[in-house]
Amino acid sequence: MSDVLKGNFKPKKPVEVEQNAEDISAQFEREALKRLGGSIAFVSKKKFLYGTGHNEEA
Amino acid sequence: MTGEPDSQPCGQTDQGLLGRQIASALDKLTLEKVSDVGLANAIANSAAIASGRSILALQDTPLMDSEDALVIAAGPSVHRFETARLIKESGFKGVIVTTDSAMAWCLRHGIIPDLVVTLDPHPQRIVRWFGDPKLTEETLVRDDYFARQDMDPKFREDQLRTNREVLALINALGPRLRIAVASSASPAVVSRILEAGMTVYWWNPMYDDYDNEDGLTRKVHVLNNLPCVNAGGNVGAACWVFAHAVLRKKRVGLVGMDFGYYPDTPYLQTQYYKEILELVGPDRLEEVYVRLFNPHMGQQFYTDPAYLWYRDAFLEMAQEAECETYNCTGGGILFGQGVGWTELPEFLSMCNS
Repeated sequence: MSDVLKGNFKPKKPVEVEQNAEDISAQFEREALKRLGGSIAFVSKKKFLYGTGHNEEA
Repeated sequence: MTGEPDSQPCGQTDQGLLGRQIASALDKLTLEKVSDVGLANAIANSAAIASGRSILALQDTPLMDSEDALVIAAGPSVHRFETARLIKESGFKGVIVTTDSAMAWCLRHGIIPDLVVTLDPHPQRIVRWFGDPKLTEETLVRDDYFARQDMDPKFREDQLRTNREVLALINALGPRLRIAVASSASPAVVSRILEAGMTVYWWNPMYDDYDNEDGLTRKVHVLNNLPCVNAGGNVGAACWVFAHAVLRKKRVGLVGMDFGYYPDTPYLQTQYYKEILELVGPDRLEEVYVRLFNPHMGQQFYTDPAYLWYRDAFLEMAQEAECETYNCTGGGILFGQGVGWTELPEFLSMCNS
């Protein structure tokens, strides 16, 4: 909606858009899921090393 | 619902289903979890990194001399078998690479690892493996992680006293230890490592595709010029990567690499129990914990989404590794293509012959 309707003036007071309950719930769930995450990232690529300065990295 | 998993009813269709779904999303979720703190720690550690050496300097040490390595992680199997006695009596001449979480166990049992690895950016917890100079009763009340974890039972005991003992142990033996420290490690860990006089070798963990010029891996690499290592999601896997990709070992054995729990382990003592409980509540735990039958042991183990993700990542990496990998853990869920299964005495004997 906000992409379609655009005002041609600036309101005197900043308009605060209320986050709907579904957004908050999804955000809460994502934060909770992140806490189940690992210690560090895993990258699904063939090389184990990058930036060693060697042409052929392991 | 915090009793022994085997004593609980197992759902016919939902058992572990949610856990598998969460595990399949952990690539992205973990990246979101560690990106900001990993970068912030890399920046905070910049001065120490600039005056230190990188892991490439390990290739100029005697650690390169042998062809074998043994990775010691802190899975529960380490404590169920006579792991330390077997290693010491074998006269193993290869390189011993250990996780930060298994370091104190090694030292208490008279094993001086050749290389310790640390990477987890958690701001408070990881320093405990090194002895936390700032640990107080209040800290223990705020976070009961060490009272519940199954990685080193010693750390569950009188925690302030144990912490003092670990401080003394690491202070005494620190100057004999080499440690590969990720730039993502918390400043508290780095400070403690330097204070203990360990020899530090720096590296960056990969965060995302290194071919992506706008990615975080490239950004951190540009920041400090350190080599980047695919750590496989956890410090145990990182030890294995160090063994074959940095130290170029042809044969790598694994102990304590369970990635799972014995059936008699209460859910309460699992790594993510509180987080899982908060997410799904007490009635849906069975949907999150995943059970796997280990055909080598003829026994079922169970695991949580993070450990399942670690296992999948490890098995994927094992396909690309130029080494033979032998899991000598004697339990857990790390089995599959690219990972041989053998008993620890057999592996040690193979390396000595």
